[in-house]
Formats: sequence, structure tokens, C-alpha cells
Amino acid sequence: MTNRAPTNRLIFTLVLLSCLGVSLVCVVYPIYVIRPFRHQGANELSAALVVARFRAVITVISAMAAIAAVIGYWRRRPPMWRRVLQAAAALVVVALAFLARINVYELMFHPDIHPTFTAAQDVKLDGAEKVISVRIGEAARAYPIRSMSYHHVVNDVVGGIAIVATY
Amino acid sequence: MRLTFHLAGINNQNFIMRDEETGTYWQQISGAAISGPLKGRHLTLVLSDELTLATWKLEQPQGTVLDDVHEYIPEYAKRDWDVRMKRAPTVLAFPEHDLTGRDLMLGIQAFGASRAFLYDRVVSEKLVKDHVGSEPVLLVVGPDDQSVRAFRDRIPGVEGVINFYRITGKPSGIVLMDDATGSEWNFQGCATSGKAKGQCLEPIPMLKDYWFDWRNYNPKTTVYGKGR
Repeated sequence: MTNRAPTNRLIFTLVLLSCLGVSLVCVVYPIYVIRPFRHQGANELSAALVVARFRAVITVISAMAAIAAVIGYWRRRPPMWRRVLQAAAALVVVALAFLARINVYELMFHPDIHPTFTAAQDVKLDGAEKVISVRIGEAARAYPIRSMSYHHVVNDVVGGIAIVATY
Repeated sequence: MRLTFHLAGINNQNFIMRDEETGTYWQQISGAAISGPLKGRHLTLVLSDELTLATWKLEQPQGTVLDDVHEYIPEYAKRDWDVRMKRAPTVLAFPEHDLTGRDLMLGIQAFGASRAFLYDRVVSEKLVKDHVGSEPVLLVVGPDDQSVRAFRDRIPGVEGVINFYRITGKPSGIVLMDDATGSEWNFQGCATSGKAKGQCLEPIPMLKDYWFDWRNYNPKTTVYGKGR
């Protein structure tokens, strides 16, 4: 009769490390490539956007696999310090699954999710402020650059037409 | 399908948006889908102007203005944000035409061509008569000496060469007069007197942008005053 516990423990460890690596890449690579004041090459940007698109799903699958690996490893009764180490690694993978859902760019520049508007004649802003203006049908809208240069994106409906104002 | 956009990253200092309905990534300057299910599609450009609030209020007294979000007001830019940003470094360099990366340009992409105009030069000249591709265009500075609009240099129904002249000191935002119809034209490009009264010049979409960004997305651009 052979003792297969060490081999199984190794497999569970490799699964956990793979999950950790995949989740780390999913979270870190897009942030590394897509950051201000860094040149973005076409290929690396394309790869980073693909990773960003799928990271929410990938990191959840990775977290589930990591948890399963820890449970399997735990049942093989390795020394307690190794169990704790594995559990900590799995927790990191779970945390990365949450981090993958955070839009860091909207943490830096908070969105104007529910834009409100004031009639032109009631606006208190200085007349020298610059605005981006659009007119659709009879509806006219102005977006002050002072706020647009912070929010960057405002989803709006002007004259019944859905538009996105950007700056 | 109506899409809801979010700020989602940056591509060589031009930002990227992501729509929450399909997960597609879109380039801000071009409106092009660059990654995701809608890759290859383009958003439809809405004609817009960059004006002073005072000029806009005179033209659109019934319009509405986007409110500040109070909790973020401390983060908002001071006036002339684009001029202040001229000190920021760029990651792209196109050392052509004696321009620096952060020179503010007025860019027109129309009639099968791209043409850029140095903003400071247009403001100092007040009225620029030029061509984009083979199409004659006018760049007109508003009564506030800051706002700029572009129009096709053609009056509907009028053949031959038309000369527009800048005029000042007129009320109601009159900025131009032409020698073909003797009409006065306001900053919205509409004739308010003369034979052409009631007619409007065709507006041309124009983008105020830094040279490095305009040049990056318009590699064949020519520059006003720097040869064709």
C-alpha cells in the first residue's frame, strides 16, 4: 500500500499557485499597461483590454478553484502552518476576484451617474467659463469644462436622443 | 441599443470608455470600438462647439447647463484647464512643423482630409480662410475673442468666389459680412441682414485637441500656415 497524500498535496498546491498567478495577472496586467503617462503599444493594449474584459469571470472561477484546492489540501492533514499558508493564499485569490470588479479609473475620476441640469439664465458660473455645447432639435445643452475635465464622461439624453458627452 | 459609458482607461493619453451593456471598449477621440463585441463600430458624432458660457447663453437662452456634483467640486479644474495642462509631459512626440506636443490645435477631419490650425494663431487672426482637402472653409472667432467655429465657405445658391470680411463693433454678435450678397452674419453662421438673410453657412465639426493627440489619430494631417 502506497501513501499518495504527498502527491495529492503537491497537486493541490500547484492548483492553488496557478489560481494565484492567473488572478494576479488578471488584476495587475491591465493596470500596468493602461496607466497614465506611459506609452501604450498597440499589441499590449489589445491584450490588456481582452484581459480586462474577461477578468471578472476568470477571477471568480480562479477563486472557486483555489477554495476547492485548499479544502482538498486541508483534508490530507498536512502540518498546520502549511494549511494556514494555503488558506491565506486562497484568501488572496478571493480578494483578487473582488479587486477585479473595481474600476480604478472611476476611483480616480468619479462618474456623474445621475446628471442634473439648470436653466441657462439661472446658472451662477462665470461667463468666461468654457463649455462644450450641443443642440439637438430645439434642445440645447452646455457641459462646463471645469467639471467635464474631471468626470470625463456624462451619459445624457438631449432632445430625446441618447448621447455621451466626453472631454 | 442604448449604451451607458464609463471611463475605463487611457490609450496614449486619450481616454478609453467601456459600455456596460456589451463590455465593448471605445476610444474617446474617434468614437471607435477598439475591443469587444462591437469592435469596428463607430459612435455617431454629434456636432458640438467649445464656447464661453456667456456666448452660449446669448445664443441659447432656453438651454440647460450640467450641474456640478457638489462633493467633487474641490477636484474640478480651474479655468483654462487645457492651457494649464500644457506643462504636463506627453508619451508621444511628433516634432513636425515646429509644434510641441501640447500645442493646442483646432482639428478638422472632413472632405477626405485632415487639417489642423494652431488655436492661438486662429484667435489672433480672427478670421481664417483656408481649404480642407479642396473645400474652402472659414474659421471664425466669436465676439468673446475665444470661441471658434468652422463653416464651409459657400453661401447656398450663390455661385462664384465669396469674400467674407470680419467686422467688429456690431450688436447681436455680428462678426462677418460678405461681398457677394452684402449680408451680415452672426457667429452661428447665419445671415441677419442683406440678400442672404435667413440663410446659414454649413457648420463643420472641429475638435480642440493637443497636437500630439490630433497627429496620432490623423497621421496625414496638414497644418495651416505650414504648407499643404
